[in-house]
Amino acid sequence: MSILDGAREQPLPLGLERADEVVRTKRRRGWRKELRATWWRHVVGILAVLFSMFPLVYVASAAFNAVPSLSGAEVIPDRLTLHNFGILFHDESTHFFRWYANTLIIATCTAIITVLLGALAAYAFSRFRFKGRRMGLLGLLLVQMFPQLLLIVAIYLIVLQTGKVFGFIGLNTLTGLILVYLAGAMSVNVWLLKGFFDTIPAELDESARVDGATPSQVFWGVILPLAAPVLAVIGLFSFIGVVNEFVIASVLLQNSEKFTLALGLRSFIDQQYAEHWGPFAAGVLLSAPPVVILFLFLQRFIVSGLTGGAVKG
Amino acid sequence: MATFSGTVGLTVKIVLLGLVNGVAIWAATVLASNGKWPAVGVLALTTLAIDAAYIARRALPLKFLIPGVVLMLAFQVIPIFYTVNVAFTNYSTGHILAKDEAIGAIKENSLSAAESGKSYLMTPARDAEGKLVLLLVDEDNRATFVGTREGLEPLPQNQVRSGENGIVAAEGYTVIKGNELFALDRELNALTIPTTGSAAIRPEGLDAAVELQPTLRYEATRDQFVRISDGVVFRDNGEGSFVATRGDAELEPGWKTAVGFDNFSRIIHNPLIRDPFLRVFAWTFAFAILAVLLSFVLGLLLAITLDHDGMRFQRGYRSLLVLPYAVPGFLSLLVWQGLLNDDFGVVNELFHLDVPWLFDGTWAKVSVILVSLWLTFPYFFLVSLGALQSIPAELKEAARVDGGGAWQVFRKVTLPLLLVVVAPLMIASFAFNFNNFGNIYLLTGGGPQASDQTVAGSTDILISYTYKLAFASGKGQDYGLASAIALIIFFIVASISALTFWRTKALENVR
Repeated sequence: MSILDGAREQPLPLGLERADEVVRTKRRRGWRKELRATWWRHVVGILAVLFSMFPLVYVASAAFNAVPSLSGAEVIPDRLTLHNFGILFHDESTHFFRWYANTLIIATCTAIITVLLGALAAYAFSRFRFKGRRMGLLGLLLVQMFPQLLLIVAIYLIVLQTGKVFGFIGLNTLTGLILVYLAGAMSVNVWLLKGFFDTIPAELDESARVDGATPSQVFWGVILPLAAPVLAVIGLFSFIGVVNEFVIASVLLQNSEKFTLALGLRSFIDQQYAEHWGPFAAGVLLSAPPVVILFLFLQRFIVSGLTGGAVKG
Repeated sequence: MATFSGTVGLTVKIVLLGLVNGVAIWAATVLASNGKWPAVGVLALTTLAIDAAYIARRALPLKFLIPGVVLMLAFQVIPIFYTVNVAFTNYSTGHILAKDEAIGAIKENSLSAAESGKSYLMTPARDAEGKLVLLLVDEDNRATFVGTREGLEPLPQNQVRSGENGIVAAEGYTVIKGNELFALDRELNALTIPTTGSAAIRPEGLDAAVELQPTLRYEATRDQFVRISDGVVFRDNGEGSFVATRGDAELEPGWKTAVGFDNFSRIIHNPLIRDPFLRVFAWTFAFAILAVLLSFVLGLLLAITLDHDGMRFQRGYRSLLVLPYAVPGFLSLLVWQGLLNDDFGVVNELFHLDVPWLFDGTWAKVSVILVSLWLTFPYFFLVSLGALQSIPAELKEAARVDGGGAWQVFRKVTLPLLLVVVAPLMIASFAFNFNNFGNIYLLTGGGPQASDQTVAGSTDILISYTYKLAFASGKGQDYGLASAIALIIFFIVASISALTFWRTKALENVR
């Protein structure tokens, strides 16, 4: 399908891919000659790599280091041990697997539902002309300028009040947090997806309509399959975003068993770096890889600006 | 395609709609049983509107919009209006309740043991419905009573068995004993049994209760409290409190009320709020600008250095340099907090330093910027790399032929072209860092405490200051002020976003 191919090609205006080819097809020259010309570049590169890698290397080594504390720990441990993982799993101040599961549940639910809801609304804005459409789109733009971070007091008070009547979406529930995340992601996703749906030729829907398909059949049968790659990317970015989210979760979830990894690992290490450093490092080692792999996989979409200046902290 | 055709699609629709209605009816009964009638009305109207939209043949766009929009209204749009609303009230610790609730609470607070008051032997028990009641024996005349939240009723002597310390058993009631009794401590403390007039009986410990008399009298017609002992009058001061007409004594608690622009004028006029606010305000800008600029400069320098024809390992460098960006930010920040610890942190140990990275105001600022540089430079490295490679080599070539030196070519050709791509991203990154709560809170917690001893620490930015005001200050919560500051942040960030939108002409797509 030509449109699918278009979708894959589209977000690469900056030519990162081309750089790979340049490197690959480079003529092989002599080591010496090359090094004479570029040695200082390698020095800068190595220094930069040291700067960016050393915290990560330290954590990785601390996870397996038999010396329990931060101080006196060698980069390359003398004795390797899995003891830290044992503490992480069994210490009474952690519910590591619970946190891990909570994070996965919240992030997965949010990612899937946010894409679906966003696509539904974006389809309406992209394909129908109706009264209030313009206002609706402008409204979304306006809402987008009010990040949930700023609304945290109001959100807290609303969830608190709701929870008094409907406990299952109140404070300290995963469902409540998911609902809040979903609401927060709507405006951005609708805009992103509308922009993409606009690039799918309307002739496709029309021909399906001529064949007797209802609008909802066009949506589920034509548009969604065509948009699947973009939906997947947006979903995965939401996933990463939710895993990284701290503020809203910290306000809404109060019970250690309901914590996400971000809240849990923080509460575990907070003020107790000396005692908990090893098990904490083990926790980092177990929590980071899924997100890192996802992120590296999605890297080209970040550069291409699909997420519009996605920056994080 | 076949999945949602004809009957199947219709069935799905009917089932989903039925489910929505079922949930709505259930929710309505729950709300009704809680006496939340306005909410029941809103719910009923919403549900009817949803039904109408999905049953009607027309209103197609609505069918697609409703699920997301309802959610967005509930947890995004309503919070916006609520925030604006709260920003103009005195909602804070001591001003949480509505006025009539506050009056009730003041009356209850004013109860104190009168000299002539009676005292009772008390036995907590549960009635047939499981409600907590108190079985009481008047210490003077041994009369027996049962006290509930509704009031005090005599208990016929022949239905109870009394011991030395009060009632041991009573017909129709289950006496609470042992561990269950100790677990009830808090509930017991909150139990007040109204008696004649405004007096009341309240437990004292687990086995005694005393009669209390009010020290204040509320005069509803004049909306004022009068202290019974000396006749001092407390009037509504219009700002959510009853204040004495003589002196400045105030009755606790106050209530939530609209105060107009008070919160904003406090930020301008009250030095205790203004000074920390201005300090935090300036640091927020400094932090956001420095974090973006330094990251951009470092990323660009690395991109220029490592993007060189004929250099080996380019891909290797790139993969390794991007790693910090890929690791979840909260983990990196927590790790850095450990590495920068001044007692046993790796950084001090490695470089044989003795720097109080996180415990000195100035050094903490340096640390925050250093760590955010570490987190953000890979992004600008990637972006610059891509942008550099998209600049046609011929352009640089032409400039060089015209006699431009390397620096001139960079200044006059490469940088301007690069900035076209990167500048909007820098603005977005600035707007993000402006509210980069995690970066501050997970690294320094906003601390260390600044010299003015206020809630605002040395590295607090506006958003973390807001968070502390609202939730975590230990000096009481000030939702009103927090919301006012949130509004100020909104206007700053919105103007920045508006600028970017204007530039990228996102608005054109509205048509």
